[in-house]
Amino acid sequence: MPQTYHFMIDIQYKGNVRDPRGETIRKVLVGEYNLPVTSLRIGKSVNIEVEADSPEEAEAIVRKACEELLVNPVVEQYEVRMI
Amino acid sequence: MNPKAAVVVYPGTNCDRDTYYALELAGFTPEYVDWHGDVKGYDLVVLPGGFSYGDYLRAGAVAAREPVSKSVRVYAERGGLVLGICNGFQVLMEMGLLPGGLLENTSGTFICKWVDLEITDTDNPFLSRFKQGGKIKLPIAHAFGRYVKVGDPNVALRYVEDVNGSDEKIAGILSEGKNIFGLMPHPERAMEKLLGWDYGKNVFLSILDWIRGGNRVV
Repeated sequence: MPQTYHFMIDIQYKGNVRDPRGETIRKVLVGEYNLPVTSLRIGKSVNIEVEADSPEEAEAIVRKACEELLVNPVVEQYEVRMI
Repeated sequence: MNPKAAVVVYPGTNCDRDTYYALELAGFTPEYVDWHGDVKGYDLVVLPGGFSYGDYLRAGAVAAREPVSKSVRVYAERGGLVLGICNGFQVLMEMGLLPGGLLENTSGTFICKWVDLEITDTDNPFLSRFKQGGKIKLPIAHAFGRYVKVGDPNVALRYVEDVNGSDEKIAGILSEGKNIFGLMPHPERAMEKLLGWDYGKNVFLSILDWIRGGNRVV
């Protein structure tokens, strides 16, 4: 009997790719709020549910979704977490 | 008979009519091909600018997976001429037909203005009417134009000044076989002096020269 599995996918630019949004927000936190923020990068999260017969199969489906469409491996990296 | 050019239209494409007009002005017979279609049999395929699928997920990401894009891949891999302008360039990159990435401008803003550009490759079907090292002006209009370099691309066009944070001021690149050209500036918006400058015309006329020279591939 297939079950529904729930995952969060965290997508970030690779470390060597500049993130202008993150840089700007960091400057605001430091400049306006005097918070000692030394690094801030903004990514995307995808809240996704899939149907599968096992957790392993579910994770494989989510990873396939990442590799086929959700992530651009040229400039992005991702992590998958079951919740 | 005028060479036939396909203008690929996705939901959210908005430079299709300008591109059609520019192609016709230059001497092509353009036709629209929508996202369900096939580009087989054309002398040139143009992916115009706009906001295909609202730039959802990433600019060009969804359009790159549509049926017409699969036919563009087949067409390009057989050596067919493909020109990707702005969002069309982003689609080609998402398809993996051109190397690198196009991300948000470092300014964080949408930039819409005329920019100075340097031609860095004229030995190709798209820029043969220009002089190597020549300076031209074309308009840009994009939020995601920052080119992130991967490997060693064939750079054909560079911004004279840094406008969006692109690596090495890269504005346009060619595929390895030089039959695919992607650029962020809009040559189709620079066809008549009445609207500023007409440097864009030489892009379309270069392609016409190349096709008329018997270099038809597909």
